[in-house]
Amino acid sequence: MSTTVLICDDSSFARKQVKRALPPGWQVDISFAGNGREALSAIEAGKGNILFLDLTMPEMDGFETLEQIKSRDLPTLVIVISGDIQPEAMARVKKLGALDFIKKPVDAKRLEQVLTDFGLYSG
Amino acid sequence: MIVSDLDEELRDAYQEIANIAMGRAADLLARLLDNYVVLPIPKVNLLERSELNMALGSLEEFDSVSAVCQGFVGSRIAGEALLIFNDTSFQDIAELTNFAGEITPQIELELLMDIANILIGAFLKGLAEQLDVSFSQGQPVILGQHLNLLDLANRDYGNWKQALTIEIPYRLEGRGVDCDLLLLFTEDSLEVLEGKVRYLLE
Amino acid sequence: MSQMHESVSDFHWLLDVLQTIDVGILVLDLDFNIVTWNGFMENHSGIPPREALGKNLFSVFPDIPQEWFEHKSRTVIQLRNRAFTTWEQRPYVFRFRNNRPITGLAEYMYQNCTFIPVSGVRGEVENLCVIVYDVTDVAVSDMELQKANNQLQRISRVDGLTGLFNRRFWEEQLVAEFLRLSRSPHPTSLIMFDIDHFKTFNDTYGHTAGDEVIRAVARVTRESVRESDIAGRYGGEEFAILLPDTAAEDALQMAERLRETIENTVVESEGSRLKVTVSLGVAGWCDSFRNHAEWIKRADQALYRSKERGRNRVSTEEKA
Repeated sequence: MSTTVLICDDSSFARKQVKRALPPGWQVDISFAGNGREALSAIEAGKGNILFLDLTMPEMDGFETLEQIKSRDLPTLVIVISGDIQPEAMARVKKLGALDFIKKPVDAKRLEQVLTDFGLYSG
Repeated sequence: MIVSDLDEELRDAYQEIANIAMGRAADLLARLLDNYVVLPIPKVNLLERSELNMALGSLEEFDSVSAVCQGFVGSRIAGEALLIFNDTSFQDIAELTNFAGEITPQIELELLMDIANILIGAFLKGLAEQLDVSFSQGQPVILGQHLNLLDLANRDYGNWKQALTIEIPYRLEGRGVDCDLLLLFTEDSLEVLEGKVRYLLE
Repeated sequence: MSQMHESVSDFHWLLDVLQTIDVGILVLDLDFNIVTWNGFMENHSGIPPREALGKNLFSVFPDIPQEWFEHKSRTVIQLRNRAFTTWEQRPYVFRFRNNRPITGLAEYMYQNCTFIPVSGVRGEVENLCVIVYDVTDVAVSDMELQKANNQLQRISRVDGLTGLFNRRFWEEQLVAEFLRLSRSPHPTSLIMFDIDHFKTFNDTYGHTAGDEVIRAVARVTRESVRESDIAGRYGGEEFAILLPDTAAEDALQMAERLRETIENTVVESEGSRLKVTVSLGVAGWCDSFRNHAEWIKRADQALYRSKERGRNRVSTEEKA
């Protein structure tokens, strides 16, 4: 069974950009979510071994999603991809258990570096 | 605001681009004030001129406001940024900038310009970088201090028909600071903007 | 080689343009020393380049508010974000005399400024560029317009003969106060008064004397009321004062003082020395009033009682 990757962002434009930035030839199953609530059910359904998570979203934002993942102890590795580049935002998501933070617009090299650093991808 | 006919894919892309530009501006503001800025979801719309008056009038939670306007132009994209600042925010802003003393209208003007320089300047820079263009900013114009929102809503806004608007209601966490950044892009800019964004969408 | 030559000559004419352009350009290093400036800055300041270049900005221009300037600059440098200042915020940053005998209405040049961070080859901000725009014409006409608007607004509020608020504006204030009171009640009073035997004055001494009397009473009223009181000319010889945050007893005292001062005032008109008295009525706000007109009526009734009781006196409303 291959690794599942979930891209959660309220903007379809942003979801596409993240998908496009993933390393080519990375053998993963990709699915999408439009807000935190959708992401949580997708993770519970096993569709999110790795979660790329936006912060500013309607319904349930990224911070709350991280809290939920933490309190429900959901099996997922979270990498936040956000336009909220305030140092405070980065500190908060790390504290809430995110592996790393990537600023938008997402840069493919940086994304690959992060995945490599955490042993999620070896090119 | 009233949503006119705007292609959903395009609206979504504008919103995401605005979201990133807004994040840059918030980051600078947070560093200036040493206070976390709560990021909203930008509202993107196509507005008729008459709807602009209505939209401004609908910010009813603001009793008395101060407003600054600044034009920008570059690569055949042009428009104006309008920052509407709730007058009740000045007390907190003064505290955050360590300003001690009486807050005179003169001081309010200084604070207003400081915030406007950052929110407008950084937003435009973030936008320009993403679209791969560069903007010249005109001199800011102070529309007034202690205005009633109706004064703003009832102004005459020239004779354009339609404009693309991006509205960003900024709020400082744990503080009574409210301000609205409204960007209006001229009718003539729409085609160029769309071209730039379609290119990113490909 | 020829390309090199061309770019050097390009550079020359570009410098020439910057030197002659009618906009001020000033480049500083991060310690606020002047690195370079253009002809605009030199000509308007009257300072020769050798006394400016390489020198500290604040010693060359001691009038610049140093703290303010440094604060703006720090923000620009740290955040790498340009900043704009306008003449409304600060009329000028550089104190340049406005040297225009014909068109110059202002003593100093009004300025808008732009602060721009300038990065070096390594991408670090190394310099600060300040652009100075002369906006004297705009500022002056804008201020003239504002003055005219204020005047218009004042005229539409003020009674021409007495300088007190006119009836329309005064009554608007009363209505506004009445609404405030209905929301949050607090003691507030109203005084209505008119000039005794005014008709006789007019008939005996003429209209000019009548006007003089009205003007004199208005002047005494203006001088007697406090900053927060709102005094207006209600009708021909009738006046009204709204006293916010004032209980009826205090308003009564105030009315009594006013009566006494007017009684002791002598009005001179065309050689005659005229004595004038007024009758006053006082009414405190009461939550049973359904509208502001009832309040006026109550004060008017008290005024009428003063007349009945022989004039030149103060009465208050009958307790209901």
